Amino acid sequence: MAYDTSVTPDAVADLSAREIRRSVMGRWGLRAGVVIGWMAFIGVWYVFSGAVLGTQQLPPPHTVAAEVWQVVTGDGFGTTLWASLFRVIVGCTMALSASIVLGMVIAYSAWWRGLLGILTRFFVSIPTVALAILALILFGASGLGPMLTAALVATPYVMSSVAQGLTRVDRRLIVMSESFGRTRSQIITGVLLPSSVLAVIGGARQAFALAWRITLLTEVFASSDGVGFQIKRSFESYDVRGLLAWTALFIGLMFIFENFVFRQLERRAFGGAHVSLATAESTR
Amino acid sequence: MATILIENLTKVYPPTPTYPQQVQALGGVSMSVTGNVFVAVLGPSGSGKTTLLNIVAGVEEPTAGAVRVVQDGVPAQVGYVFQEPRLLPWRSVLDNMLYVQNRKSDRSKREAEFYLSMVGLSDVAHLYPAQLSAGMQQRVGIARAFLVNPDVLLMDEPFSHMDALTGRSLRDYLQRIWAHTRKTALFVTHDVGEAVELADRILMLRPGGVVFDDIPVNLPRPRRPDDAAVHAVETEVLRRFDSMEAAVRFGDQRN
Repeated sequence: MAYDTSVTPDAVADLSAREIRRSVMGRWGLRAGVVIGWMAFIGVWYVFSGAVLGTQQLPPPHTVAAEVWQVVTGDGFGTTLWASLFRVIVGCTMALSASIVLGMVIAYSAWWRGLLGILTRFFVSIPTVALAILALILFGASGLGPMLTAALVATPYVMSSVAQGLTRVDRRLIVMSESFGRTRSQIITGVLLPSSVLAVIGGARQAFALAWRITLLTEVFASSDGVGFQIKRSFESYDVRGLLAWTALFIGLMFIFENFVFRQLERRAFGGAHVSLATAESTR
Repeated sequence: MATILIENLTKVYPPTPTYPQQVQALGGVSMSVTGNVFVAVLGPSGSGKTTLLNIVAGVEEPTAGAVRVVQDGVPAQVGYVFQEPRLLPWRSVLDNMLYVQNRKSDRSKREAEFYLSMVGLSDVAHLYPAQLSAGMQQRVGIARAFLVNPDVLLMDEPFSHMDALTGRSLRDYLQRIWAHTRKTALFVTHDVGEAVELADRILMLRPGGVVFDDIPVNLPRPRRPDDAAVHAVETEVLRRFDSMEAAVRFGDQRN
């Protein structure tokens, strides 16, 4: 009997032409949707600015864009941004570190799951503003205060996400490893940790988003620098243009971190093709 | 020489919240497999085939009885091909192969590449599992099991999730790679044709996990499903399968 050593027809990737076409069209459709959505948003903004609220109350998009440019190219932008960013990064790192440890504890111990579940529900039910003010009173506004507030508020949410991710480890991969005689440490480094990477990246993303919001909130309350302080100053001087410009910058920064940091990390962790192709695989 | 010795093996699963009755998967299985033979364990759903394989692989504990899997008196190295490929999605095909290797060297890489070439996957070693078709993923699973140079090869319905054409192609690959290595193989299936095409011996399990019959298959290799001799043995196995079903029904009536 002759055996064919070349890749047989069944070995050819079986995304059919129709599936590929549908996938490409879906991608372009999504892009078109995003463009149309932005255009609609800007159009509505112009309408509200010109005909409903007035340009004093709601400056039009091009004025805000000009203000953004002025802020970015003006003095002190880097210092202001770094003041906030530093707090966010430290707060996020604290929240993520605590969440990974606590998430692991929750995922693998029923007793701790029960105890931390109660504490989580307690912390989640405290209004963020109250927690922020309390942390500021206890730890002060300029030093650790905003960072600890961010970490305290973000940790219960991030911890739950990390724990959920960890419990979703495919047990069949562990059985496979055991059947091939892999040791406990090999299973931890070869299966458990890589399985948890997605959960940890998801947790980092969540921690970052929460830390940004909470840091800015605490800066609004009591700080003499940072993006939150600039937003408060704009508000106090009724500078709607400045307020919107800083808000737009805030959104822009979130977008940059989401697309150029977390997504790239996710792709890198899964060798580029996994995330996008896993979806195609599940539809076969 | 590898030997699988199974004595009065029993496995009873305790009641669970979702299934509040205990389930007897194996009811005193005894058998032995010695040497470079390919043994198929054939049986309907619920006859304890997978449980038997898991216990032999050491990933499940029996309720009673004993299993010895040895090579020249020492515990044998086992290679396992699962129903689904069970590849690590974050590793490339080649890295998935190397994961089960004890030593990481150029030699082990060459061995991994050799077994990938045996299943026609040399060109995709750098790809990730999600980039492969289901059939290709299972071929990686087969190559991986051979890579550890197992004394005993365990296979749990590895082609059951494949379409007929892919299954046939995979059986060809398996026959080829087994002919090259001639490892002691225990192959679980519920497909009579598959069992006859691949095995030297067919052990038939009846529901409740008891060996009902032990049928030798003395046919030359490689075999094709359309061979007349294969077809004749298949008919004989099916006849015995019918008599097993009759025996089960008769037993049920008596109870």
